[in-house]
Amino acid sequence: MQLGGAVSRTLAWPRAWGRADATVWIGGGVGVLLAFLTLYPTAMLFYGSLSDAPVGTLGRFTLAHYRAAYTDPATYRLMANSFVFAAGAAGLSVLLGLALAWITVRTNAPGRALFELVALAPNVLPPLLVATSWTLVLSPRIGILNLTLLRWLGLPPLNVYSLGGMVFVEGLVLTPLAFLIIAAALRAMDPSLEEAARLAGSGHLDAARRITVPLVVPAVLAAGTLNFVRAIESFDVPAVIALPAGIEVFSTKIFREALAAFPPNHNLAATYAVSQLVIAVALVLVYRRITGLSERYATITGRGYRPNVVDLGRWRYVASGAALLILGVLVVVPFLVLVYVSLLPFYEVPSWEVLGRLTGRHYAFLLQSDRAARALRVSLALALGGATLAMLLASLVAYFAVRRRGRLTGALEALSFVPWAFPGTALAIGLLWAYVQLPLPIYGTVWILLISYVTRFLPYGLRPMTATMVQVHRELEESSRVCGAGFLRTFQRVLLPLLKPGFLAGWAILFTIYVREFSTSVFLYTPRAEPVGPLLYHLWQDAQPGRMAALGVVVSLICVVVVGLARRWVGEGKTLR
Amino acid sequence: MRKAKVLVGCLLVLWLGATALGQGPSDVVAAARREGRVVVYGSMESDIFEVVRKIYEGRYAVPVEYWRAPNTRVLDRVLTEVRTGRVGFDVVLTNAAAMKLMKRHGAFTRYASPSYEAFPRGSHDPDGVLSPAYRLTPISIVFNSRQLRPQDVPRSVLDLAEPRWRGRVLLADPTVNVIPATWLLGLRRQLGEAWRPFVERLAANSALVESVLEVAQKVIAGEYPVGVSFIKYVHLFGKEGAPLDYVRLDPVLALPSHVAVSSRAAHPAAARLFVDTLTSRAGLLALAQAGEFVLVPGVYPPIKDADKLRVLVLDEPSEEEFRRAREEFTALFRRR
Repeated sequence: MQLGGAVSRTLAWPRAWGRADATVWIGGGVGVLLAFLTLYPTAMLFYGSLSDAPVGTLGRFTLAHYRAAYTDPATYRLMANSFVFAAGAAGLSVLLGLALAWITVRTNAPGRALFELVALAPNVLPPLLVATSWTLVLSPRIGILNLTLLRWLGLPPLNVYSLGGMVFVEGLVLTPLAFLIIAAALRAMDPSLEEAARLAGSGHLDAARRITVPLVVPAVLAAGTLNFVRAIESFDVPAVIALPAGIEVFSTKIFREALAAFPPNHNLAATYAVSQLVIAVALVLVYRRITGLSERYATITGRGYRPNVVDLGRWRYVASGAALLILGVLVVVPFLVLVYVSLLPFYEVPSWEVLGRLTGRHYAFLLQSDRAARALRVSLALALGGATLAMLLASLVAYFAVRRRGRLTGALEALSFVPWAFPGTALAIGLLWAYVQLPLPIYGTVWILLISYVTRFLPYGLRPMTATMVQVHRELEESSRVCGAGFLRTFQRVLLPLLKPGFLAGWAILFTIYVREFSTSVFLYTPRAEPVGPLLYHLWQDAQPGRMAALGVVVSLICVVVVGLARRWVGEGKTLR
Repeated sequence: MRKAKVLVGCLLVLWLGATALGQGPSDVVAAARREGRVVVYGSMESDIFEVVRKIYEGRYAVPVEYWRAPNTRVLDRVLTEVRTGRVGFDVVLTNAAAMKLMKRHGAFTRYASPSYEAFPRGSHDPDGVLSPAYRLTPISIVFNSRQLRPQDVPRSVLDLAEPRWRGRVLLADPTVNVIPATWLLGLRRQLGEAWRPFVERLAANSALVESVLEVAQKVIAGEYPVGVSFIKYVHLFGKEGAPLDYVRLDPVLALPSHVAVSSRAAHPAAARLFVDTLTSRAGLLALAQAGEFVLVPGVYPPIKDADKLRVLVLDEPSEEEFRRAREEFTALFRRR
């Protein structure tokens, strides 16, 4: 597993600079672009936290916002809440994602292709709608499940309005991301190692423990890290559950104290966001330390690979049952509630009476509404273009971060993780601050949305690309270079095809996020280029939960179709059958 | 002087004759058509706004682009655009506190619509920037009429402090939302020394959500039997059969709303015509039909007993008063 280690040292970044070949120029260009995309709004956010003037105006230096934020004892209580919430949600999502990915990719459990398709569905459901759906299932007074438990079993109600409820719902929201990252890594695994273990006398479980688990650790860490940070910055689920539960977490504090205040205080929002930046940077450092010996995980070599399928025998039906149970909680329950709400004039607890009031008029509204049609067009264009651009950039960043290890390339990866740290609303303020000052006519256009999407969600694409790149051995690239191919040709002909699982996983994640992105868009869009996310929110604000649910259903179905088509287009679908 | 202006329903307003604007001056209309559209930012619910849009587009054939958001978001967007000089709105309409703050930041220009002549002189903005308060939004206790028996319905706001309502009252978060904050500050003026113990008990009884709209939705769904929200939702949701009713408080407190034209409107003629239409008799009657309480004598929304309500217009607290109130409400509602 240490093949090529010496070669890698000869390709360290400082010497490459000396040769001034295309690699250097491309690496430099990627670095500059990344620095601009991430550091500029980040610097403007820091500027905002230290300025006494609102966005768009010059101010004087002040520490007043830091004093206000960190002299409040409540700040430290909410930090503790946030850590419990994020750790719980990330842990639950990784557990569910790992189980689902293993059953789908590595076993002969019946229905795997269906599981994979369905597992993507919750990623396309806007978290706001998922959280709302679960409150209707687990509300102590009107929750469908609680009423059933009470009526049939006499059990006390479960309470979604609690920290446990928040962890549960956020964990479900985050599971698709964990699934996609871990499934991509499992799919890219060299089967000969497990075969060797079994030939040496190990059983399935022993081989899994000694071979599979260590090989999948980087992807699990990546999923856990990303989901932890994502939960820390999540606002959708806390907005629906935390406030009625009387629980404060970081994102609700930022929203409540700074962004929803009268008048709004962007400077204080920026100040709180700095804490999240520190947390995320610390996580990146931990992650990089753990995965520092990346050669340990190189499993794709020039010998070719196709992951083994584990024959579970009769247990394969149990595995399918477990996957169905997970997917039922993950997809079926929230989606059915969403469909139910989309067919009602207003929400009511299900009953025979309610069936008589079902209506399709919310869907009719979508068909007739120019605003809904325009929002779908804008969001689909942003999702297709943005996801492709972001993944190409992520591929290059992952290449330099993994292949050209050095201080500069390490900085590249850290830079690309920076946007993860910010709550969407706070990063939007940074972007607003940044692009309002820029003498380019992009503020108030769809282009600022595209830039913000690529900037903010680059890490979502980068993680699966890095996890996959770590597993692609450099001997293939070296062979291509030795045969005379330049960097771009090698990248296009050798690396990208090998990186396809990671590229596809990242593209699917980004597409589904972009289609329903809300927290950044709501600050940057204009009414003429309104994406789906803000429209969903405004339908909610407009007392139109039926229309909101109907649009959510339509967007979800579009996403499933597009992602399915994309997978088929790149040939990945064939491996699922 | 900070004293509440009592309006007994809408009867206190002297309607000086209909100024129904059948058509603006032809040169203004031609200019508006050349401008091609008008962009409106506001916090009025879209379905209610639709009635005004239909009248405007029907008259002038100029499309209206409406961006709807809660009042603090409208305020945030407008101030950001004004400060950065990238103004995208022609007209803004929301509650008085936000409008006055935006006015102070130079977001609006002076405009005296011919429609304003029909409003009482005392309701006019002395600076000629904001419209008169063309509508009021009364706030009351709303309840789920299927869950509560008539004898269980609270009769006054003080009833909400009783132990039987512990965990059963829903409020919009007064530590951030200007609407419940203004309502609670209005109650302070009514209740005097009894206010503080009342609010302490109310805080102990209440759960919080983000907006008054969410309050209405959760009460309709039955998650909470009572809440504090806008009376107009009784009509907005009630016409769909929602089990929502309201307590006939005496007096009922209401927030005033204004409209104004942007100081950097890209479509100034279309903007002025829009303000004319909104504040015209035809516009206000259409709003009333959609559930709004408008300042037209004898005209009420189709809500039971709307004509019997004694409406007290809330004074809009200043920015500094809001800051102090937030600290006080945070201590009461968020540190239980």
